[in-house]
Amino acid sequence: MKGEFQPKNEKVIVHGVLWLNSKFIGFALGLTCGLIIFITTNWLVIKGGDPVGPNLQLLSQYFIGYRVSFLGSIIGFIYGFAVGTLSGALIGWIYNSIAGFRVRLDGKSR
Amino acid sequence: MEVENLANGKYEGKEAIVIIGAGPAGLSAAYDLVSCGIQPIVFEKSSTVGGISRTENRDGYYFDIGGHRFLSKIDYINRLWQKMLGENLLNVRRLSRIYYKGRFFNYPLVPSNALINLGPIESVLIVLSYLRAQLQFNTEDTTFEQWVSNRFGSRLYKTFFKTYTEKVWGIPCNQIRADWAAQRIKGLSLVAALSNAILRTQKARTLVDQFVYPLQGPGMMWRSFQQAIETGGGQIHFDSEVLEIGSENGRVVGVSFSKNGQPYDIPADHVISSMPINRLVRALHRITPSEVTDAADGLSYRSFLIVNLIVRRKELFKDQWIYVHSPEVLVGRIQNFKNWSAAMVPDPEMSSVGMEYFCNEGDEIWIMPDEQLIALATSELEKLGLAQGREVVNGFVVRQSQAYPVYDEGYKDNLQTIKHFLDGIQNLQTIGRNGMHRYNNMDHSMLTGIFAAKNILGEQHDVWNVNEDEEYLEEYREERAAAALSTEILETAFCRMDKLAFAVAVGAVSGLTVFIATLWLIIKGGEVVGPHLSLLSQYFAGYSVTVKGAFIAFSYTFFWGFLFAWLFAYLRNLLVAYYIYRTKRKAEMFSLNDLFDRL
Repeated sequence: MKGEFQPKNEKVIVHGVLWLNSKFIGFALGLTCGLIIFITTNWLVIKGGDPVGPNLQLLSQYFIGYRVSFLGSIIGFIYGFAVGTLSGALIGWIYNSIAGFRVRLDGKSR
Repeated sequence: MEVENLANGKYEGKEAIVIIGAGPAGLSAAYDLVSCGIQPIVFEKSSTVGGISRTENRDGYYFDIGGHRFLSKIDYINRLWQKMLGENLLNVRRLSRIYYKGRFFNYPLVPSNALINLGPIESVLIVLSYLRAQLQFNTEDTTFEQWVSNRFGSRLYKTFFKTYTEKVWGIPCNQIRADWAAQRIKGLSLVAALSNAILRTQKARTLVDQFVYPLQGPGMMWRSFQQAIETGGGQIHFDSEVLEIGSENGRVVGVSFSKNGQPYDIPADHVISSMPINRLVRALHRITPSEVTDAADGLSYRSFLIVNLIVRRKELFKDQWIYVHSPEVLVGRIQNFKNWSAAMVPDPEMSSVGMEYFCNEGDEIWIMPDEQLIALATSELEKLGLAQGREVVNGFVVRQSQAYPVYDEGYKDNLQTIKHFLDGIQNLQTIGRNGMHRYNNMDHSMLTGIFAAKNILGEQHDVWNVNEDEEYLEEYREERAAAALSTEILETAFCRMDKLAFAVAVGAVSGLTVFIATLWLIIKGGEVVGPHLSLLSQYFAGYSVTVKGAFIAFSYTFFWGFLFAWLFAYLRNLLVAYYIYRTKRKAEMFSLNDLFDRL
């Protein structure tokens, strides 16, 4: 279809740039990281062994108070959620800043 | 009230609202005003209500002028129809087929049926042509011919679209602008297509295989409107042709019309016109600049005539109507009125058909004497194998001038010029198909009338937006917020991701994570600093848990994060683009299915 007959919202889809919602990205990544630590920790707890999860235990070097136990999995979830949220929000912010700069540079409007 | 009293300005102190035309748009406007306690005056040139969707009655046989399905996405209109006719509104299961090369093809087109009817060789050629079209991107879409061929292949276009479209419009398809197709094919909206693909929100017309239809044809609906208007104190004057519209200081002040050959003048406070827009311009000739007159003269219309035949046969064919694509006959469409409603035919042993011929006023078909037209229609009915000539017991002809506004090369500019001129007249509004020179369906025409009436009552509707933007209708249904939300979500989801920005963002965050992790272990200290993290050196040559190593790790992870994120964004954009492309193509194919209904 010729451009002059394109509805406004169609032009946005065809020519526009995707903008990330930093809060949502942060929340999603935080939840994912938190759940990964929570599940992997509890998986090792259920499997058992002596000692339980010596390699995962190394996370305690960064996450103070973390252990491969059920309580540790909750502490790990909180840490993972915090780090994931921060990282996701940062990715969103950096992406939007650079994309916005490039759009302005191209003389396009958001 | 008598016309003489009107002419003397005896309105009992009320505002005089004049509506020109008693078609669906004019009647809807009048009805809306009457519902609000205002009594408008309607002038109708002919002697009956309904305009192009009127119903003719001959010896107890009802003939619809073209076959009008009552089918709308607008709840308000659907409710209005129900309110007007209630139980007299029948639910009809639609059946219509295409007649081509002596065979009937299902319509909307069904691939298996079409391929069987066409035969193996032609089918293969069509499929090859279709595949070839799919491989051609960014081709020019200026004309209808290009538009269809680019999407579905030139062979399919020539088989199913060329002949009939040219019969209807009387011009080659390579002279019909693509925007006409775009307006006819509403499913073209990308947002609507995506919304439908993901959320299943659109009630596409094509899916509707049922429609409602008045027991005795559309005329029954319009007579019901007439009755309601007259009961509410409104007036409808038949055989009354508006000749001139007087104006002063950018306002309409009066209307001159003739009734039964007698001229009259009446004052007017508001005028709603559904008369053809070029005639409206002529009626305003005292204030019309020459460029506007030229623009009005530049607008053209397609007319058609219908030869109604009464046939002595209980059942002719099972369809409500047939599209005749075969080039060897002139007839374009055949209506079988009995299948619309059994009450259209008084004798169950008889049938009635409407043979529709698309033409231009004054051309060979248009000026052909009625007897010859009846003979032509009878012979073509026999030629198509639908009835024997001797079974035709009676026939009559109805000529409908200015049936379709033509979207030719210059119509857009001409219409814009006229619209700009009319916008300068505050208390004059144009409505309806011919009033706006827009290919409105019945429901859209009605909505323009309703909006015009509501504007007089103080609301603010842009009548020209009806049928221009489906979301306007959504707004009327108070669903604008939901529509806007879904549009915003779609825009957010389907826009292109900036690959570079995403790659830098992910690279930077990944790099920072490893950078901080390394520094954290250095700060913590210990006999052996970070023995496990230093294993990263197996992948990142030169890495160690030191400050220098932190920078080296940042560089490595930034690089790999950048690379993966860029690839991710690239693939995501590619998949989204492909999804959009397929969705749009499917929507177009889907919409094209019922294109002939919209011609």
